[in-house]
Amino acid sequence: LALRSVNSSRSAYAYVFFSSMFFQHYCWTAASQPCQKEKQLSLPCKLIIKSVLPVFRCVNVLERNVEKCSIYTNINDHHITFQLLCKHGVVKTYNLTFQECDPLQAVFAKHMCPNILKVYSRLLADTMIHFPTSQEEVTLSVTPMKVCFKSYTEEDTDFSKTMLTEVQLNPEEFDYFQVGVDSEVTFCLKELRGLLAFSEATSVPVSIHFDKAGKPIAFSIEDMVLEASFILATLCDIEKETTSQQPPCFSQRQESNAAAVASKKPQGNGNAPNTEPAKPASPLAKQEVKNIPRDTEMPGIEGAALTEAEDHAMLEGEAAESHSQKTGKDFKMAKASLSHAVSYFYTYCIFQFHSLFFGAVSCTEKDAISHTFHSLATASDTEEDFGSSQV
Amino acid sequence: MRFRAKIVDLACLNHFSRVINTIAKLAKTCTLCLTDSKLYFILSDKVANGGVSMWCELCQGNFFDEFQMEGVAAEHNEIYLELVPENLSRALKTAQSAKAVKIKLTNKHCPCLRVAVELPSLSSSSRIVTHDIPVGVIPRRLWNDFREPSVPDFDVSIYLPVLKTMKSVVERMKNLSNSIVIEANLSGEMNLKIETDLVSVTTHFKDLGNPPWASEDGYQSSAQGRDLESMAEARIDIKKLQQLLAGQQVNPTKALCNIVSKRIVHFILLHEDVSLQYFIPALA
Repeated sequence: LALRSVNSSRSAYAYVFFSSMFFQHYCWTAASQPCQKEKQLSLPCKLIIKSVLPVFRCVNVLERNVEKCSIYTNINDHHITFQLLCKHGVVKTYNLTFQECDPLQAVFAKHMCPNILKVYSRLLADTMIHFPTSQEEVTLSVTPMKVCFKSYTEEDTDFSKTMLTEVQLNPEEFDYFQVGVDSEVTFCLKELRGLLAFSEATSVPVSIHFDKAGKPIAFSIEDMVLEASFILATLCDIEKETTSQQPPCFSQRQESNAAAVASKKPQGNGNAPNTEPAKPASPLAKQEVKNIPRDTEMPGIEGAALTEAEDHAMLEGEAAESHSQKTGKDFKMAKASLSHAVSYFYTYCIFQFHSLFFGAVSCTEKDAISHTFHSLATASDTEEDFGSSQV
Repeated sequence: MRFRAKIVDLACLNHFSRVINTIAKLAKTCTLCLTDSKLYFILSDKVANGGVSMWCELCQGNFFDEFQMEGVAAEHNEIYLELVPENLSRALKTAQSAKAVKIKLTNKHCPCLRVAVELPSLSSSSRIVTHDIPVGVIPRRLWNDFREPSVPDFDVSIYLPVLKTMKSVVERMKNLSNSIVIEANLSGEMNLKIETDLVSVTTHFKDLGNPPWASEDGYQSSAQGRDLESMAEARIDIKKLQQLLAGQQVNPTKALCNIVSKRIVHFILLHEDVSLQYFIPALA
């Protein structure tokens, strides 16, 4: 059973996978229409979180009263039913409608991260408690000798008005401490609090995988029956980008279907690490994590690039059926319908956030696999750089 | 200008935190005055505060294990800082199990009070949490604004009833009216009154006792020769009163108020090592 969620600005992605052993009884009956060549039969459906929350509201009350919780679906009816069988014969039934959808999934190569920390959950919670609840962004700074979490500041922060907090930890406090590259990553603390609360409850250690500024950071917990991960975008470090800068590159998808285009964006010609198109883990997974570099050379272009690319991501999420090959048309469509998202992201441009881009996992568009490594359309003056990924 | 101080004892730390919490509830921004022997939290009676003023005095020796300060100049060995007490309160909130707390005046990007909390950790070295609280340095020419207020020439001085009771009464009254009338006489009686179009509520307190004030120079204060039964009253903003009462986390050793009829109410709350004076002006 997989639960996935993405935040509205697409800068945070979370999933929780429950193995069938988590449940007392787990039964999956195949739907009548088989998807050819599918290895997994899955029913992706979309629920509004606000509707599900009341079912599991008060954990204490639940623990005391509920004897069994049963979840079952009626596909034809588009209903999921949560049934709580409580003490004294009380049965609470919640019927929620769902929409079918193609779930988004971010692929983030955790094992390729040079920095891996593993720590028991209490430590992380104890650290974050020192930051005010209104604190949005937090910077994690590591060297092989020390670790610290501090309030995020930028050049134009008004120091006379803001209170800054810094927590220094000793590498010895970590169950596992590997720092391959000194880095300072800034991520949104708010998005993380959910996982922190969850891990405290399950008392499973938290693993943190990350790289340099700009690459996503993943907080995960894993035990025998479940696996949860929060993948957050991190702020890109402008200074470093500009120095190693090559002509601005941005990628656009040429298709709006689930065939997501590969690869993390190379930062420049020579010095991009792991720039080869990140092959999806399984042939089915058309998911990619895409870091759109906030290259700073020409802000005007950047903005536009991000805008269009972002639109594209959204559109994919909706799993548009059209297999349109015409880039221009797609972008126009996207722009029109998602202008609000665009303006949000445009404002965010200044803060140099990398965004995570998602491909949709779809079981019907298998044929798109062949397009997986479709060319990255780049600005016309840099096309030569990406000849290798031309299909 | 230098300042550094250290608290090592947990009880002192808790006590200090409680004082800061109380101040934070009373004022959004206030002035901290540091001298050799004392700390003062001062709120002066500007219009912006609604005419309310506050004077809180602590003996540094009762809280700090180490305390060193160097004022602006040798003959003016004081430091006046403007700060947001809520920030200090927040910094100390998570220091409840600290091994030590150090406070230092620094000037990295701007003048700050750096609070460094040393917390125990599982590893050999402690965990250090640093909070940089921005402060404003108040120049000497403005120091006159922050003098200790004199006790007003009051009509009646009376001990307050048990603060918890008074607080719950005032809290309920707050829902009904914006202003409250405090009246008291020299026979130990106090009434809290509210009056609206729909309802009027009065709570009577008896046998409170009146503190004896020795007149400093034999001067007859307006309180003497006063009819014991006659009430002095003042109508004040109920929210300010409620804030004062809500901020008290520990019962004071002595709590009293001086009423200048129709002008001002002066509250004095004394603890062992902290004294807090709060002035609420009467509403027009």
